Amino acid sequence: MNWAQLVTTVVTVGSILGVVTLVLNMQYGHAGMINFGVVAYFAAGAYTYVLLTQSPPSSLDQYVVGLDLPVWVGFLGAALAGLVFALVTGWPTLRLRGEYLALTTFAFAEVFHSFILNEQRFANGTRGLVGLERPLRDQITFVDYNVFFAAAALLFLVIVYLIFERIVRSPYGRALEALRDEELALITVGKQSGRFRLEVFLFTAPFAAMAGAFYIWYTTLALPELFTAEVTFIVWIALILGGEGSNRGALIGIFLVVVFEELVRAIPFTTVRAAQIAAEVEVAALGLLLIVFLRWQPFSSLARMRRRTG
Amino acid sequence: MGFLDIDGVSKSFGGLRAVADCSFEVPHGSLMGFIGPNGAGKSTLFNLVSGLYQPETGSIRLEGDELVGRPPDEIARMGLGRTFQTPRSFSTLSCMENMLASVQSPGENLLSALLGNYRSHETATTEEAHRLLGVVGLGGRAEDAADELSGGELRMLEVARQLIRQPTILLLDEPTAGVSPRLQSRLADLLRGLHADGLTVLVVEHNLGFLLDLVQHVVVMVKGSVLTEGDPDAIRRDPRVINAYLGRGGGDAA
Repeated sequence: MNWAQLVTTVVTVGSILGVVTLVLNMQYGHAGMINFGVVAYFAAGAYTYVLLTQSPPSSLDQYVVGLDLPVWVGFLGAALAGLVFALVTGWPTLRLRGEYLALTTFAFAEVFHSFILNEQRFANGTRGLVGLERPLRDQITFVDYNVFFAAAALLFLVIVYLIFERIVRSPYGRALEALRDEELALITVGKQSGRFRLEVFLFTAPFAAMAGAFYIWYTTLALPELFTAEVTFIVWIALILGGEGSNRGALIGIFLVVVFEELVRAIPFTTVRAAQIAAEVEVAALGLLLIVFLRWQPFSSLARMRRRTG
Repeated sequence: MGFLDIDGVSKSFGGLRAVADCSFEVPHGSLMGFIGPNGAGKSTLFNLVSGLYQPETGSIRLEGDELVGRPPDEIARMGLGRTFQTPRSFSTLSCMENMLASVQSPGENLLSALLGNYRSHETATTEEAHRLLGVVGLGGRAEDAADELSGGELRMLEVARQLIRQPTILLLDEPTAGVSPRLQSRLADLLRGLHADGLTVLVVEHNLGFLLDLVQHVVVMVKGSVLTEGDPDAIRRDPRVINAYLGRGGGDAA
């Protein structure tokens, strides 16, 4: 087993999905909004980035447009796509409570997934786009590119973490938690709960979308099968493992899950059958882990560690 | 024209007329009690005034401004404070955070939250919050989470949360339920003090001993309408009120 490579992969994937977990933690852990369609914002960012930065379609390609724009434009475009997507999905649904919001966000994500999967003319459908360029691939000569990229993803995660922590520790974060605890009490002290909901949705979704662009850089693939509800569930499991309501907990959760997945992946299987079994066992083990954590909540104390001014 | 005018207000839930053509006025600075048997429409009336329900007919005016049709958060910002029959507070936040979350803070927009330019406001509010928590008997519990409080303490926290907003009119729905006798007398003193300072206070209460000693004016509600109103002594002697409480069709006697 190549440990250096394992660490690089864990840091890269953990940082990318870590951002998505932080986004979900802001939406659910702090503001109490159950978003079961997180993958949609991640995918919207990824696909927008691809369509903005790819060369125009040729020969067998059918994707709708390739604008050949610089990487940074694609990255900002991804963020913007996240914002637009949050506006379109958030506006009609955020008045819904609890499980209704969960169902509609899940449905939105499924519709979007179904769209990228079946609409050949959007992004080649199931074939997707492969062999995509990675930014600064040729300029990075002084260090292994994968190490450089892991560091970049980690830097992105740290920035998002610091921004979110600053909000969580401010009166704004306090208002979000008040909204989660007792909306009626917040309304009767004169605050517009709907404004907070929509703002949090609009503010956080672009970060999930930017993480989508990072994911494209990492995988070099834009395939519908990478953007299924499984991403949503992994992020949810991670958040519950680490303890929702705590950004630190969210990160512990996602890194635990990613380490676990990558360890299983790193096992050198000699037969395909063994690998298949391992994949099944991995899913079952994640489920078991979730039950164990829900029962004993080993990190729940983290959520209470924060204290604001007072 | 009173400070708060209720004029011909009705509200039905299915076939039940919870509030039926109810009218009365509340003069500025009064300390007014509402009594009546269960289901008389007292809490519904509070929900109508605070905008949680919209009436089918009638008008509710605060200092001449129509409240009907406005969302509850706007009515709250117009100066109305209220508590609930079942106390509602922010359960995972500390008592201090509960207080701070109840005032409008400049740190409640995203940009200020990121820039951090809300600290001086926060310091000033924290001081006032400490004072008010002391007043309602929660002085030593500022750092405890609200879900660690007893039912009575939660009620006091809810009152304090409203007071820190400096409302011009305060509606209290059964403030003494589950509150210890010691805290009840503290609450009565507090309300008398607020009344002396000119705050208009409306209290729904089943604890008649507490209420009739506290207020100067009582509105008796039965079946969604005002049966009678007057000073506590008159109400105590009124046979219609006694009948209403005993379920002898006090509404017909009116």
